[in-house]
Amino acid sequence: MTQNATTRVGRGGILSSAVLLLLCAFWLLPTFGVLVSSFRAADDVRSTGWWSVFPHREWRLAETINPALDLDRSGVMEFAGARGTFEELRAGIMAPDGRRVIWVGNRRLGTVQVQERGWTSSNAFTLDNYESVLTGKQYEVTNAQGVKQTLRGDDLLAAFLNSLAVTLPAVLLPLVVGALAAYGFAWVRFPGRGLVFTIVVGLLVVPLQISLVPVLSDYVRLGLNGTYLAVWLAHAGFGLPLAIYLLYNYIAALPRELLEAATVDGASHLQIFRLIVLPICGPILASYAIFQFIWVWNDYLVALIFIGSQPKVQVLTMRLAEIVGSRGNDWHLLTAGAFISMVLPLAVFFGLQRYFVRGLTAGSIKS
Amino acid sequence: MIYTVERTIKHAALLSAGLLFATSALAADMPKELADALAGKYKGTVVTAFGAFADADEVKFNENVKAFEEQTGIDIQYESSKQFEATIATRVDAGNTPDIVDFPQPGLMANFAKAGKLVDLSTYLSPEYMQDQYAESWIDMGTKPGKDGKPILAGVWERVNVKSLVWYPKKAFDAAGYKVPTTWDELVALQKQIVADGDTPWCIGIESGAATGWAATDWIEEMMLRTNSLEDYDRWTSGQLKFDSPQVKKAAESVGSIWLDDKLVYGGTKAIVSTSFGDAPAGMFADPPKCWLHKQGNFITSFFPKDRELKPGVDYDFFYLPGIDPAYGKPALVGGDIWSAFSDKPETRAVMEWFTRGDHLKTWLASGGTVSPHKDVELAWYGNDIDRGVAEILANATSVRFDGSDLMPGEVGAGSFWKQMTAWVSGQTDLDTALKNIDASWPSN
Repeated sequence: MTQNATTRVGRGGILSSAVLLLLCAFWLLPTFGVLVSSFRAADDVRSTGWWSVFPHREWRLAETINPALDLDRSGVMEFAGARGTFEELRAGIMAPDGRRVIWVGNRRLGTVQVQERGWTSSNAFTLDNYESVLTGKQYEVTNAQGVKQTLRGDDLLAAFLNSLAVTLPAVLLPLVVGALAAYGFAWVRFPGRGLVFTIVVGLLVVPLQISLVPVLSDYVRLGLNGTYLAVWLAHAGFGLPLAIYLLYNYIAALPRELLEAATVDGASHLQIFRLIVLPICGPILASYAIFQFIWVWNDYLVALIFIGSQPKVQVLTMRLAEIVGSRGNDWHLLTAGAFISMVLPLAVFFGLQRYFVRGLTAGSIKS
Repeated sequence: MIYTVERTIKHAALLSAGLLFATSALAADMPKELADALAGKYKGTVVTAFGAFADADEVKFNENVKAFEEQTGIDIQYESSKQFEATIATRVDAGNTPDIVDFPQPGLMANFAKAGKLVDLSTYLSPEYMQDQYAESWIDMGTKPGKDGKPILAGVWERVNVKSLVWYPKKAFDAAGYKVPTTWDELVALQKQIVADGDTPWCIGIESGAATGWAATDWIEEMMLRTNSLEDYDRWTSGQLKFDSPQVKKAAESVGSIWLDDKLVYGGTKAIVSTSFGDAPAGMFADPPKCWLHKQGNFITSFFPKDRELKPGVDYDFFYLPGIDPAYGKPALVGGDIWSAFSDKPETRAVMEWFTRGDHLKTWLASGGTVSPHKDVELAWYGNDIDRGVAEILANATSVRFDGSDLMPGEVGAGSFWKQMTAWVSGQTDLDTALKNIDASWPSN
């Protein structure tokens, strides 16, 4: 009976691993494509797919034939053993020896190419995209006196630092406030606790978009708009309901005896929170920090409305959107830009990953 | 004594103004605030500006205002947004309004004029002065009904681009012995010649993500101007003439005579919808060219392949898309950037007044990539032959009309018009249904 169950689990394990691997491949393949594209030149990205960097078979020029000037090009012609009309030759005709005969150019001026099929791969890699993104695009400007000069556009570095300046407080603020609030809801008795908690949880469903205009007009009145404080508060405010809810579930599940023992020893709420609850809550705090970090780092809307796109303050997402140019003419730069913007979230995720898994499962089973 | 001092200041103002505007002797008298600003009266003030243009245009704008900022001490702080249309409404609603705003289309500006948010510029830019600076059609296109329904001067044009241009790969074009067509019949003959040579004449692509189809609306507008009267065009863009009218249908059918003919379009009709508007011209620069003609505004050169140095006038060039019916002359379809003011501070006035003067654009014209709508601009100021040629087409046009889809309400001009044209070209609907669907989407008020 037991053995039977184990083998079933084993078989199921293989199946689920296979499914997981497949899902991972689906998720990673486009990312891999973007990575490859970020090392390719602009015109290559536009003309061929990223998979053409792998060896594949392609027709290659073996011989060029110039059709005789007096050749009648309206009828059937023969080159290198292939016979056909102009239209057929334009599409390409297989010669008996396995080579392809194809007419290149127009009827009057074109030439005939004999092609062989051979292995090829386009592996002309370049760092131009990264250079352009990291150091800024180059623009040539001539002033009214006719003096030419090359200007550099904004680079990613300043935007990267701006993003960091926005993200760190916007993560720490709801984390600290949320943990305190969660502890209060879980372990401090006060009138109306249930009602206030319900309201806070209810705020989870309020979409950020509907409050943009009222919040913005308040900010304008307070002179906060365009400052980092504005986004910190906005992100903290919208992040708090989730923070409180997530942390509450964890903190409320702590063993009562632990806290009671501390109270008996004469510890105040603040001491219990600082010395007992916070150290135990490491995993769940890390989980929330990852959530909030990735959310704020990737945020475009809140930054767009409350900070704007002045180069001095603009964040990475805004810079990325502008990198493609007024009409999207430089979209190939997005590949390199995206990878640079990904570096930090990836580092944060892998750095805190072990807490993340523990934090997600913690509190799910109450003992 | 005081009188003399004032006169000296005035003299200094005129002198320094003369330095910056040495070539504007022909232009009208300088407006008061601009003269004051050039005399340094508004030193230390800030004018916040907001607009949709970014990237190269933003760099050129900042470079262009530098001399003005240094002389006047007014700091013009330009901020661009990729989400301009969405952001500006939020900002105005919340009271976080910039001093001046650059609208890429007058339709959106008209909404703010109607809501009473814009300053009526005619309070300091007199009609006589404006007529000295701009051709009548530009003033008309900047005049919109205000809050009480009376027309106000809602904006002044800074830069324009011309859409009625056909680009071609000059080197291969000349080698093949083709001639630039100057009439519609010559264009049709050229198409026939290219087809007879076994090639396809046109590179056409209208894919543009969520905005797929906008390039098709430009073609319809070109044909409207070439097969119908200007009155009909104006009635059409203002909603009085239905899409489902013989006039608009005629224009669409003229487009269809090229677009729906597989022989005339590279990749066939089905390729039009799937080819990105930016990638479409690349076919012209293949060796040998896959297609020979591409109609698009002057901005398209920034999409040309970058792997080799394509030289204007050598590797590529353009010609004016010829008129069809001589009765309708040589119309030019244009787009452009128009500045409006949300504040009425003297330094804002000075900047707006500065925008009305052709010589304010000198640095930008020398840098290339734009065309001036001002009367007092000399062709010699243009830094390259392409821009100069475009300016000449604009100057020689018998009529100038703004991109119609930008004048229509957003639901149509940036919505159903794009979508239904795409559906028609891709064969999902027939022309009649497409045109009726657009009419149905026109907002009722």
